[in-house]
Amino acid sequence: MQAFQQNLAKLEAADTQVLGVSMDSPFSNKAWAQQLGVTFPLLSDWGGDTTKTYGLYDPEYKAARRVNYLIDKNGKVVEMQLDDDAIDPTKVVVACQAQKLNR
Amino acid sequence: MNKLFVALLLAGTLVSGCYAADQSNSVPPPKIKVGDMAPDFTLQDQNGHKVSLHEFRGKKNVALAFYIFAFTGG
Repeated sequence: MQAFQQNLAKLEAADTQVLGVSMDSPFSNKAWAQQLGVTFPLLSDWGGDTTKTYGLYDPEYKAARRVNYLIDKNGKVVEMQLDDDAIDPTKVVVACQAQKLNR
Repeated sequence: MNKLFVALLLAGTLVSGCYAADQSNSVPPPKIKVGDMAPDFTLQDQNGHKVSLHEFRGKKNVALAFYIFAFTGG
């Protein structure tokens, strides 16, 4: 999440809204956002319905996997990073800058 | 010669057995992949506001970052 915060200006300049999602409660997300200085929404998928819809539920950890999606303005997934590959969101940042150029 | 063959066969069985065990522990691939439409959702943010994916349709791209738990790295 810190990596997204660090890239927030670039992402916003490329017409991109950042949304974090986890199965935490809104209360722990609030505390974490304050600790990290995260200014974008951290969404609480309490119960995991959205996580399961996307097929990202990990039964071993009872939590979501780490995944970054870039969704274009038509609602289509145009880029994706999975697990360890998702720690550094550069690929998503570059892809959304390319989206802007393509318009 | 025969002993070597049996040893190799045994080693191969062990390796493939471990591989199979590893595969069964791993989670299935994500349902939503590049090229798919992102399923809509409405979830509460850290300030108590409801946020829906469809709010951004036609207006902005969305970088959607699923993370394991709050207070973990990344």
